[in-house]
Amino acid sequence: MSNNSILVVGGGFAGITAALEAAEVGHEVYIVETNPYLGGRVAQLNQYFPKLCPPSCGLEIQFQRIKNNPKVKFFTMADVVSVTGAPGAYDVKIKVRPRYVNANCTMCGECEKAATTSVASEFDFALTSRKVAYSTHLFAFPQRFVVDAAACAPGELDTITAACPYDAVDPNDTEKTFDLSVGSIVWATGWKPYDMAKLTNLGAGKLANVVSNMQFERLAAPNGPTSGKIERPSDGKAPKRIAFVQCAGSRDENHLNYCSYICCMASLKHVTYIREKLPEAQVVIYYIDLRTPGRYDNFMQKVAADDKLSLVKGKVAKITECECKSPILTVEDAVTGIKGEERFDMVVLATGMQPSCAGSKLPVELPMDEDGFIIGGAEAGVFAAGCAKLPLDVMKTAQTGTSAALKAIQNVVGR
Amino acid sequence: MSNTVRVQPDLKFVQELQQVGGESLKKCYQCATCSVVCPLSPADSPYPRKEMVWAQWGLKDKLVNDIDIWLCHNCGTCSDLCPRGAKPGDLLAALRNMAYRSLAKPSIIGTWMSSAKGLPILFLIPALIYMLIWVYRAGVLGTAFPLFATDGHELKLAADGAIIFGGLFPGDFFIDPIFGAVFLFMVFAFASGIATMLKSFESMPKTFIVGRGKEPCFLCCLIDTLKVEVAQHSRFQSCGTEEKDVQRFTGHLFVFYAFIALMVVTSVVAVGHWFGAFFLQHLMGIEGGLAGLIAWAGHTPMPLWSPVKLLANAGAGALIYGLIKLTSRRTALDAAKSSSNWYDWYLLTVIWGIALTGIGSEIFRLIGQKVLAYPTYYLHLVFVFMMLAYLPWSKLGHVVYRTVALAYARKIGRLPMGELK
Repeated sequence: MSNNSILVVGGGFAGITAALEAAEVGHEVYIVETNPYLGGRVAQLNQYFPKLCPPSCGLEIQFQRIKNNPKVKFFTMADVVSVTGAPGAYDVKIKVRPRYVNANCTMCGECEKAATTSVASEFDFALTSRKVAYSTHLFAFPQRFVVDAAACAPGELDTITAACPYDAVDPNDTEKTFDLSVGSIVWATGWKPYDMAKLTNLGAGKLANVVSNMQFERLAAPNGPTSGKIERPSDGKAPKRIAFVQCAGSRDENHLNYCSYICCMASLKHVTYIREKLPEAQVVIYYIDLRTPGRYDNFMQKVAADDKLSLVKGKVAKITECECKSPILTVEDAVTGIKGEERFDMVVLATGMQPSCAGSKLPVELPMDEDGFIIGGAEAGVFAAGCAKLPLDVMKTAQTGTSAALKAIQNVVGR
Repeated sequence: MSNTVRVQPDLKFVQELQQVGGESLKKCYQCATCSVVCPLSPADSPYPRKEMVWAQWGLKDKLVNDIDIWLCHNCGTCSDLCPRGAKPGDLLAALRNMAYRSLAKPSIIGTWMSSAKGLPILFLIPALIYMLIWVYRAGVLGTAFPLFATDGHELKLAADGAIIFGGLFPGDFFIDPIFGAVFLFMVFAFASGIATMLKSFESMPKTFIVGRGKEPCFLCCLIDTLKVEVAQHSRFQSCGTEEKDVQRFTGHLFVFYAFIALMVVTSVVAVGHWFGAFFLQHLMGIEGGLAGLIAWAGHTPMPLWSPVKLLANAGAGALIYGLIKLTSRRTALDAAKSSSNWYDWYLLTVIWGIALTGIGSEIFRLIGQKVLAYPTYYLHLVFVFMMLAYLPWSKLGHVVYRTVALAYARKIGRLPMGELK
């Protein structure tokens, strides 16, 4: 029996876009998102291309569209367990992890105050810690706290439950599984930042003042761990000299053997954050090739006019740190042919995007390339979108979402 | 563009380079990871990134005059961390191979040495020389596998005698004159190679180093190089820190000192024979005392307890140990990162040949297996010839070329980053 509804796996920018496009022409859509919130990686950014808007700007509109459209149903903290059936009539098993917080939640934060245990914050890439009762960020959608019962100390869950003035904390919440019948699947599971621990010659993620580009986004974000102040993780001081290391583990057959498309632009964007927040800071971007796709070249020209920014051709291949925890880079300027050591207050590694699916077994058989990007699946009624398909910026991600929605619709219509 | 430089690529040279081991050079995208991770590369114009772009552009002039190919000790760290698998370490090895081929005259030997195609002729030259001697001596002695008894300074055929290699291949008339000539040939070849090399270094651009005093003399630098880089393998030691690098350092050190020990043994034999027995005893008529001791020390075959023999056997043991280390490292190389070329295998094989036939000759002689002992010794002569006569055109030529280059680098202050005082 054929089915008109569509499953969207992943509630990031690609998934939300695909879901709304399909729902707004009348299809029933289910979004399954593993995080407690929708919005994906965009939600973690300070600003995003092309117009350097804060994420709340674009996402707010999307969330409104979701709220106002009864055709869209979404499940957070949910994963696809298995997919059976055939194109047009899939049976999908979904597992939802317990949130321990129900719809009564008003985001008042009493539970967070009552909680005592803290763990590293996933949303802030371990730059700070979060309580076991927490909200990932101010504009989280759905507006509802999460209780991490597994990390609670004995008795802590009861304290948290008692602290809630609205009976929103449900200590008896359990894992639920249920089935959905859908005709098409949009696979928009996105990406994860490449693991710095693997970059052994760049400090293996152990150097105090060497952060990844995504960590830098959190440092610059007003809802981040420093409320938007760019400061050294080791001592909280404002850095005077900052270096960007491009292709940190990208275009490298020992790591990610491809270009992640947007990291050069991201670092240039980070220079604008620095210029806004630290007008006197000196910045050096070390690159192999500065890649500025299409119209992004205009942006590069604009940023490069900054006289406190130098662009140096040469890949940083060694980072150590001094006693004062300042990173020391070794790099050869490939234009002058001079190799030397340079000390900075802070270093940002422009790490690339690795598909979230890389190295994992998917619940549905999909052709992947050796890096883990989905390279097919249309014949099976599964359509990849966003960075699960290839590294993209937000704008192109939205376009692939629309495109996947159209194909998903074509797959269910007229069966 | 007022300073337009017209690059005139030598495409044939690029192809040649790819054939002799630099096949991946076109994959390089000039990120300069290699120059940074190289523990020996200097701060000013570090290698091997610039060599990669020169090679891609076919700038032969730059590459053939480049001292840096000799400063590289081939730990392979650059190739391991190369994001593109362009194998810069292999390119520098390929450039050294090109230098072995063309530096010394006559260059025809260089051509023969450059690929397996030349191997038959290189093998046949000594094989025929020593076969002729063997056949001739077999005719004189009436047997190809003679046993001897000593009678004063003379050797006599004796059915119940012992295997004495000097009886079949007499040193005075065959072994020593041939190897003497081979040695002289090699020295002259090296002299021409060093002259070419130094001239090419002169053409390099000069760097003025701030704060550096007067440039030291070449001889002083050479002595320092021999004391530090050669005797202590200092560069080798700082060249890579992984297990495979330690293995290579140890292996090379053992092989190096094994050869030093065997060279001392050979010198004792030569001095004992020509100075002690021939000059002092035979010509001057001095018997006994110091002359007798000198003559005895160099007299072969030696008793097993002779200190010279003990040194020889220790050298053979060290050689085998070092060879095992070097060979196992080379066979374990990740082909995606570094590869071994013809020059590497030629040298390893010849040294294995020398070590195994040398030890084999001694064992077969001691257990009296004449049918095995003489052919093994014959092969030993062939292998030693193959190492010595072709030395300037083989990878072993680095003994001389690298030493000269290191001394020259000391003179001009081209030292690893952070080492310049």
